[in-house]
Amino acid sequence: MPRDPLEALRLPVVPVEPRPQFTTALLRRIQGAPEPAGHAATVRYFVDDMDAAVAFYCHALGFEEELRPAPAFAMLYRGDLRLLLSLPIEPHALGDGTLPVPGTGFNRMSLRVRDLRGTVDELRTQGISFATAITAGPTVDTVLLRDPAGNLVELFEPRGPGYHERPSTPPPRRVHEHRQRPLHRR
Amino acid sequence: MAAIYPVALPQVYGYLLPRCGSVAVAEDLTAETFMAAVAASRRRPPPHVTVAWLIGIARHKLVDHWRRAEREHRGLAAAEQELPAGEDPWHEVLDAQAAHAALRRLSLPQRTALTLRYLDGLPVAEVARHLDRSVHATETLLVRARSALRRVYREGEHHAA
Repeated sequence: MPRDPLEALRLPVVPVEPRPQFTTALLRRIQGAPEPAGHAATVRYFVDDMDAAVAFYCHALGFEEELRPAPAFAMLYRGDLRLLLSLPIEPHALGDGTLPVPGTGFNRMSLRVRDLRGTVDELRTQGISFATAITAGPTVDTVLLRDPAGNLVELFEPRGPGYHERPSTPPPRRVHEHRQRPLHRR
Repeated sequence: MAAIYPVALPQVYGYLLPRCGSVAVAEDLTAETFMAAVAASRRRPPPHVTVAWLIGIARHKLVDHWRRAEREHRGLAAAEQELPAGEDPWHEVLDAQAAHAALRRLSLPQRTALTLRYLDGLPVAEVARHLDRSVHATETLLVRARSALRRVYREGEHHAA
């Protein structure tokens, strides 16, 4: 069968640079487009009593309730930190079926406060249980307390000029900008 | 999106410009393509952003553009559809440049079908999907479009002689 002569019309894509003004204006539009949600650093804690946990974080530690769409889940904010509270139920099971156990382990979020001693005194009057006394580190004073489910929360106050924290920066535009190096595999 | 932009922009614009033959339209469609890509990249899971994916969006934007334009000039396009199909296939060797010029003088549905089928090299079934027509209707459209192209092309030759 003879080849269709119209195949000669095939037009491969040859790159063409648009006008520089257009290129710049369109880039500005792309970058100015609102980014997807994800500005806040997010931490998830497992709790066994959702009402008690939400009350604790909102009343004692200055979080605000953002969403509570289901009995097993709440989303709280404290500035740029988003805290997800979940009941340890089936969707959170690991592949082998293991469920999270609230209040176990030493991992915790760290919240910066202005006046650690005053904060601790204030929280003691609310009956909050502390897991440590105030500890002086090289650059920060810290204390550990427990939420109603037993999860640890660290409070800290910077002390002295050695303390370092990166100035507030906009979030990455794309997650994979940070994934260029392969993850270590076992 | 900003990361792939310097590489992808000339490719997307280079795809659109020769097909629509107008800097203003090519710029509009290029901007529409990238803004649609930004919106699409917010979906979960996010799409894999490649030049080929962007050119696929550009192709949709081009077809949509011609579809809009056709609605505005439906009377003209309808008159064009009435032409007899003529014979097919075409045995002459085409001068690609003159053929591209002739293509721009066809009705928009014919121009769209031939662009997707021959300039982009898509299979008929895919052309049909883009045009939202059945494969059979697309084949008929392509037959008529080839015939119209040949006629316009011959007229061009005649004028040039």
